[in-house]
Amino acid sequence: MQHELPHTVQEHASETFGPVPAVSAKAVNMRFGNFYAVKNASFQLEQGRFLTILGPSGSGKTTLLRMIAGFLTPTSGEIFIKGEAVNAVAANKRAIGMVFQKLALFPHMTAAENVAFPLKMRRFDARTIPDRVLQYLKLVRLDGLENRRIHELSGGQQQRVAIARALVFEPDLLLLDEPLAALDRKLREEMQLEFRRIQKELGVTTINVTHDQREALVVSDRIIVMNNAEIQQNAAPIQMYRSPENPFVATFIGVTNVFSGKLVKRVGDTASVLVGEQELSGQSRLGSSNITRFESGAAVKCALRAEQIRIAREGKPLDKTDFSFTGRIADVIFEGERQIYVVDVPGVSADPIRIFHHDQDEFATHHIGELVHVGWNTNDMHVYAGIS
Amino acid sequence: MDALEGVFAVAWPKGGGKLTPYLLLVPAISVVGLLVIGLVYIGDSSLRTLDRTTFLFSENYSLENYRRALSEGFTYTIIWRSLFGAFVVTIITLILAFPYAYMMVRTRSALVRKALLIALFLPFFIGQVVRAYGWLIILGNQGIINDALGLIGIEPLRLLFNYPAVIFGLVQYMLPFAVLMLAPALTAIPEEMEAAAGSLGADWFQTLLHVVLPMAKPGLIGSGIVVLTLTLTDFAMPAILGGGTQDFIANAIYDQFFRTSDQGFGSALTIILVATGSLVVGIALATFGAGTLALGKSENEVR
Repeated sequence: MQHELPHTVQEHASETFGPVPAVSAKAVNMRFGNFYAVKNASFQLEQGRFLTILGPSGSGKTTLLRMIAGFLTPTSGEIFIKGEAVNAVAANKRAIGMVFQKLALFPHMTAAENVAFPLKMRRFDARTIPDRVLQYLKLVRLDGLENRRIHELSGGQQQRVAIARALVFEPDLLLLDEPLAALDRKLREEMQLEFRRIQKELGVTTINVTHDQREALVVSDRIIVMNNAEIQQNAAPIQMYRSPENPFVATFIGVTNVFSGKLVKRVGDTASVLVGEQELSGQSRLGSSNITRFESGAAVKCALRAEQIRIAREGKPLDKTDFSFTGRIADVIFEGERQIYVVDVPGVSADPIRIFHHDQDEFATHHIGELVHVGWNTNDMHVYAGIS
Repeated sequence: MDALEGVFAVAWPKGGGKLTPYLLLVPAISVVGLLVIGLVYIGDSSLRTLDRTTFLFSENYSLENYRRALSEGFTYTIIWRSLFGAFVVTIITLILAFPYAYMMVRTRSALVRKALLIALFLPFFIGQVVRAYGWLIILGNQGIINDALGLIGIEPLRLLFNYPAVIFGLVQYMLPFAVLMLAPALTAIPEEMEAAAGSLGADWFQTLLHVVLPMAKPGLIGSGIVVLTLTLTDFAMPAILGGGTQDFIANAIYDQFFRTSDQGFGSALTIILVATGSLVVGIALATFGAGTLALGKSENEVR
């Protein structure tokens, strides 16, 4: 099998130069005229990790994936897979498995023929092909359906064929180009867990692209958030959620309230800010390098997650919070597993504040128009530079 | 338009209900029906023989015309020439039309697409007879090509009034039909399919062979059948570019009707032509299946 050839080369490289990252991008730019689709993107991905590139539509995430796949050539910068430049290898010789947005399964072939296709094209030993096809159909739990035509399979089953087809030739890298976007929510969540299971089982380095923040948190070891063609943050899911580096990341993942204010002073990691008529304090995310820019009076943005805010009936003041204000319930949104209170807090924010209810005993006890206490702790609020 | 809708609303207050689609079929069926009546008359006269002394047709039916047609070598020559020509023209046309249609569908440049479309449609506006006459000017003994060859000292070549000339003219005539029928079939193949084949390890030729051609099959068969039947029954190209030496069936029928005035024998030849054409199309459909013409629900619809 010629397929084995690249492996030996890579093993050799890793022996000589230490562990080579599975994927690395160095100062990658993609420009169309004056428009940057991807700007100065650099990252490294370790072997066997599941990375999700997360961003709103138009953020450049799909362009970045297409460059990694080699379908697009960066205007400048370079992308390496196992130390080898992507564009140095012809498209059909790359060891990259890809699940396409619309799956791109071949309608004139059966499920098994679709999965066998890359093996035939890559000249695997013909005697081993049927067993290998069956093994991968089993992996995606489609055994028994191998002779079905593609249009005879359900949406979820088609997803599974596409995954098996992308993995059967043991690629170095699996790319997922938003294949779950078109599925309904229940099936999507089921398939997210399937992706994770299969990825863990095979240990294949995977890059997934999505605009679904929940999917990113559920499936990934690492998340890259993109916006306006630039990488905003590259972190593990928990770190990304707990310590967003800028207001965009803070608001894109989770439900977050943002207040505009002015810096009063900064002491160590704590920043005091004036929001409305109130002086609040929060975790400083102003950065350490350019302190002089953030003098007293500088514009700041404060981000506070909806689940970090406590709420209590008027007359039963909150005791364990650093800050507490009185507000009036403007709306109550029932979402099944949780309830969102939309509360007007005039002294702090012109916009109403969104709060997730997480006190089971008090569940559904506040009503529109009711006065409530809302409060939070210094550590729950993140203070960012005002111009994001 | 509004007035038209108003009239329609009065004439057809409930929109016709379930019968509407069938009622809308009536005009088309009438037109085809007239053709069938014509065919019945031809069938009738094919069974009457011409009395050469009185120039009257016999009252009683006989198979004499068919016997005559099938016993003369001339009939087989013409049928073979027509059938073989039709196959050759179909194959050459499809081979030429496929890349043309593919390019037209896949090109990113709107300019190239427009240029290809105009080049395709321009000959349509000229018509078959004028186009064939144009080839006479270009390919004739005193034509442009032979003049050019003469300049470099080559004796005039006989480029016209032979079989290749007829085939050439027919291919040139059929190309737009084939391209226009192939283009929608190729448009229906998502570009992602080709990118997918590439990422799975197929080179461009394997992608063409294993993905694009199988998925374009309905379009290929559809345009193949159209080209085949149009060629089989063509009149002008064999008449003009063949110069009477390369007659197809239609030319022979023309001769019987309008030169020899043997309507009976001409009718018999017509029936033989219709039977041959039907047989060929029938075999094609039976081989590839009517479903491949992409009638009904398409298999390409995934999800």
